Amino acid sequence: MGHQISRRTLLRTTSGIAVAGALGSALSACSGGTGAGSTTSDLTMIWWGSDDRHAAYKKALAAFQKKNSKIKIRETYSGYDGYFDKFNTNIAGGSAPDLLQMDTALVAQYARKGVLAPIDSYVGKSLDLTGFSKTLLAAGTVDGKLYGVPSGIGVNQLTVNRTGLEKLGLKLPDREWTWADLKKISQDVYKKSGGKIYGVDDGGGSTLQCFEVFAREKGETFFSDDGKKLGFTPATLQEWWEFWADMRKVNASPPPAITSAAHNDLTKNAVVIGKALFSFDSGIYGAGGSITDAQLDFLPTPQGDFSGAREGNFVNGGVLLSATKASKKVADSVKIMSFFAQDATAIKDMQLLRGIPPTEKARNLIASGLTPTDKLNMENADYISQRVGKATNALPAPVPPPQGADQIWDLLFQSNLAVAFGKKSIKGQLGEFFDQASGILGG
Amino acid sequence: MSMTTAKTDEVVEEQAAPSTPSDQRERDRMRRRLARRRGGGWWPYAFLAPWFIGLFGLTIYPMLDSLYLSFTNFDLLTPAQWVGMDNYNKMFTDDPVFWDSVHATLLYVVVSVPLKLALALGVAMLLNRDLKGIGLYRAAFYLPSLLGGAVAIAIVWRQVFGGDGLFNDFLAWFGIKGQDWISSPDTALYTLILLAVWQFGTPMVIFLAGLKQLPKDVYEAAAIDGASPVTRFFKITLPLLTPIVFFNVVLQIIDAFKTFTPAFVISNGSGGPLNSTMLYSLYLYKKGFTDLQMGYASALAWVLFLVIAGFTAVNFIASRYWVHYDD
Repeated sequence: MGHQISRRTLLRTTSGIAVAGALGSALSACSGGTGAGSTTSDLTMIWWGSDDRHAAYKKALAAFQKKNSKIKIRETYSGYDGYFDKFNTNIAGGSAPDLLQMDTALVAQYARKGVLAPIDSYVGKSLDLTGFSKTLLAAGTVDGKLYGVPSGIGVNQLTVNRTGLEKLGLKLPDREWTWADLKKISQDVYKKSGGKIYGVDDGGGSTLQCFEVFAREKGETFFSDDGKKLGFTPATLQEWWEFWADMRKVNASPPPAITSAAHNDLTKNAVVIGKALFSFDSGIYGAGGSITDAQLDFLPTPQGDFSGAREGNFVNGGVLLSATKASKKVADSVKIMSFFAQDATAIKDMQLLRGIPPTEKARNLIASGLTPTDKLNMENADYISQRVGKATNALPAPVPPPQGADQIWDLLFQSNLAVAFGKKSIKGQLGEFFDQASGILGG
Repeated sequence: MSMTTAKTDEVVEEQAAPSTPSDQRERDRMRRRLARRRGGGWWPYAFLAPWFIGLFGLTIYPMLDSLYLSFTNFDLLTPAQWVGMDNYNKMFTDDPVFWDSVHATLLYVVVSVPLKLALALGVAMLLNRDLKGIGLYRAAFYLPSLLGGAVAIAIVWRQVFGGDGLFNDFLAWFGIKGQDWISSPDTALYTLILLAVWQFGTPMVIFLAGLKQLPKDVYEAAAIDGASPVTRFFKITLPLLTPIVFFNVVLQIIDAFKTFTPAFVISNGSGGPLNSTMLYSLYLYKKGFTDLQMGYASALAWVLFLVIAGFTAVNFIASRYWVHYDD
């Protein structure tokens, strides 16, 4: 009797309220809207990179602000993981940064969606691009308009733990090496290390586009020119996966658990943890681990023998600096781009942290101050870009990757892993890969 | 029951009010009386306003907006375009990763929730006694739940169950050579389940509160009759505790369906290896914020909403047959 609430009612009601709250939050977390650009008075700039790159950017930007005291820069930086997730959210939420470091692989997608500001009208005025080659600027050009200033020359190359190689009594392979040479030396590493070290990290999932180089050696591209289809045949991918299945079988490459752990995490890379001596991942440089005291060296992606004899390498633009369309400070952002392109202090601060500098002048500026490893890196990149320049049978540089490209790359990685873990046969996975890829590109 | 009766009387009186009075004075008197009883005009609503604004602005409007977006191809960057049922069709007919994520999530829910609740109840039973410093023990067992949601713990988890992590060092003492638990598609999800089970603190505290309310005389009577501790647990404790169990089951299932942080951190945002840790919320996030398919992600969110609502409804219906309220 009386007005007291019974235990039953209390418990029922509490459950009900808790349920309603828990359910509601699941949905409301998932909603967005488009808004206006940033309104704060500071110029906001974002980039991704290593600690070294952060420090270099900050040093250069401090020098810029000394000369341009009216421009106040607010810097936000992180690793690559989640960088574009956050950028997307900021754009949708109306708090886009004014200036950002852009990925050459994504510039077309963002430019076509109207996120980036075209900067052609500044070239030759506040944007000094003296010494930039046309092929290099192509990396920031989408549908004929310039959307970003390339930071430098980027090439696909392998990073080698040379000290580790020498300890086993092995010699660094010649730059004109073939896929068969890669297999041979990787097997030797495994044998001479007593089964402790594999040779090369698993490239079957195409770390940093090494499969693209392979396909180009066969005269095929990764994406078709219109970006609506894949440019390579199932036979080519099958050959690639079979090569890597064989590499794993003879212990030239590590088992899939190591490959899987390294996904999105350079500190777990096979070479960094001391389980391999060759890596397709260029970023491991400076990742610490087992290579902290080792002398690194660099090699082009192998070519020849079963891949075909064409030049498969290509040159891209490192990373880009781009301004957002919603920004009210595009003119100021362009000044900063120009500063990084031409200013001697900025060039010296950045060194090779954003690729090999784009101009002859910049390369000469940093040449004397380079560490031995940086020097080797630059030499090899130079070697590749010269070979590409001389090649008569090379395909033109790839078109900017279409929307969904990153999903395809992830699919390629996961597919190779499924084969490596023995969950799928190569033939079976091949069909799935092409089915899903056409779904991603078509819709 | 008396409360309901009182309420009904009041409603009848109110509804009857305008029709019965025959003259103006009578009506005014009635209105004043009603106003007094209601506590007066607008200002209760003013006090409720912050909550209403929150409810409509932060919950209901975004929910409706996401319902709308689920029928569009919204990509975060350009205006949304209506695509009808496309997102829902694609999800069920043409998206293998969706099914991977459904599989991973169901497995996660079905395994982690019972284990977690069993552990929570067991520890709550142990802590439900008058020992010296029992408060300290209770705090110690609750601690993982305070930390568990944190990114830092998920990072530690990665290290502990990695190839050269602590767990394998531990196994090595017994001569067992462990694998990389995080990077193997057959075991990765179970490391997440273990993390969830370890965070049994919240249901434990609720169980403990429930246990403390159980009537002592029933136990004394049972002890005198010679009932063993096991019998007492199954014949007295568990039946009397069913409302609490029910409450915990419902909440933990909902929570488990929505798990995001550990999967994101432990798999480095990839849901790998081979989508084995692609929990539904993680897939939803990937679609929305990485692949720029916010319309599709909204559709995913609504399917999750319906599935959780369905599970909860089934739970409430089933509760009639196993939950005993003591009144």
